[in-house]
Amino acid sequence: MTKPPEPKPLLEADEVSLHVPTVLPGEKRILISSADLVRNFYLPKQERKVVTLLSGISLKLQPGDRLGLVGANGAGKSTLLRLLAGIYTPSSGKLVVRGATQGLFEVSLGMHPEATGRENIYLRGLHMGLQLSQIRQLVPEVLEFSELSDHIDKPFITYSSGMRLRLAIAVSTMIEPDILLLDEWIGAGDAQFNKKVKARMMSLVEKSRALVIATHNEELMESLCSHAMVLIDGKSAYYGKVDDALKFYSARKRKSV
Amino acid sequence: MISLSTQFNIAVIEFLISYRRTSLGPLWLLVGPSLFVIILGALYSEIGAVKPVEFVPHLSIGLVLWTFISGVIVKSGTIYQRKRPQIMQGVMPLPAIVNVDIFSHLFIVAHQAVIVIGVLLYFQIPLSLYSLTSLIGFALIIANGIWTTRVFGILGVRYRDINEIFQAVMRIAFLATPIIWMPGDFGRGAVMDTVLVFNPFYHFIELVRAPLLGNPVTLLNWTVVLAITAFGYVLAHFMMRRYNKLVPLWL
Repeated sequence: MTKPPEPKPLLEADEVSLHVPTVLPGEKRILISSADLVRNFYLPKQERKVVTLLSGISLKLQPGDRLGLVGANGAGKSTLLRLLAGIYTPSSGKLVVRGATQGLFEVSLGMHPEATGRENIYLRGLHMGLQLSQIRQLVPEVLEFSELSDHIDKPFITYSSGMRLRLAIAVSTMIEPDILLLDEWIGAGDAQFNKKVKARMMSLVEKSRALVIATHNEELMESLCSHAMVLIDGKSAYYGKVDDALKFYSARKRKSV
Repeated sequence: MISLSTQFNIAVIEFLISYRRTSLGPLWLLVGPSLFVIILGALYSEIGAVKPVEFVPHLSIGLVLWTFISGVIVKSGTIYQRKRPQIMQGVMPLPAIVNVDIFSHLFIVAHQAVIVIGVLLYFQIPLSLYSLTSLIGFALIIANGIWTTRVFGILGVRYRDINEIFQAVMRIAFLATPIIWMPGDFGRGAVMDTVLVFNPFYHFIELVRAPLLGNPVTLLNWTVVLAITAFGYVLAHFMMRRYNKLVPLWL
């Protein structure tokens, strides 16, 4: 008897690195003399440099895998997520994604202030690659979830910050991807709505075939993830079970303090 | 993948929204150029420098085309900065973002074309089958708008000075292009003609304007425009292959 072939992983990254050539502003000595201040403003010194954001990261996501990313601020968690979402292209290494990825980052961005809530649903939907007819079907659900009722036909600019966030979350979660990418767990201000968001996010997580989440919330990671990766300075320092990864990370933190 | 119809729909919605709180809406697009054509046309014929029947059609076609050309170029340097949220959500590829911007410039031209039609009717400019050649010319202008936006979009993300440069250059280019003046005027035509050869905008505008006014399009016009188009697409191809993946990182 031959074993059934193992299903192909949804996502495979092999020694993926990301380097960016950038122009960095040179050293500024604002406080030394006013002449320097003026010169720096009109003729700023610049330095060209290649910055390494990620180096040699390998990972594999099988259907059902839930990967958590741990690391300090600036360690490359969000960068890795954006790379997996296809926003950034690796400078070296191989990245294969089989399925639709959807990242929930910067959900509040991309709303048109002059447009009404309904128009924003259409605009964002089109930008997500949906057809007008598909969006038309999704609108009632978004309306129901965001609890905007009559406000939906008022300009977005007139919304309160709570309403803006509600609409943004409702719109960003209206499609269910194969691979869900989360940069921090999304939450809203008021407790009532937060419960709803939590339920919605859990159902998204359950429906998705794989999840990658970057979070500082260790409890959440333990309850949600099947394994974890510790990122330090853009390198994968540990990749394995969640408990071990969290232990490794806290030991690292203690050492550096 | 974002289909062309989706790109068109995005552009339509954004176009409608941008005139939301004005009472005239997109009709404002007609006000500026109309005033320009009427006042300048009246002024020039008053001083007897030109014949209105020759100058006003020349001016109106040139002005409307110029709005499109300079609009595309000036906005190309900031396109990816303006569309940062859409790029960072990871679904819209950069060429789709370029197309949306080109569509919105086309909506503007489509409105302002009314002025040209009005002027052609008023002066009873005879049109023939040959006039249809101007459609080919306009298609070439659009095609060039696409590659310029692709190229300058990348440059503009890397070097934010691009936008300032375009603002400055396009104003001078407007004066250097025969829109508010006619080549061959005042017996000094010979001098300007040699300068005009090196003005790419002149050749593009001629390709659309000359057929509409019943003037011949020269072989030089065609050669320059086709050469620029070919060169531009090759340049855009290599720039995009090399730098498009860096655009989100530079944003």
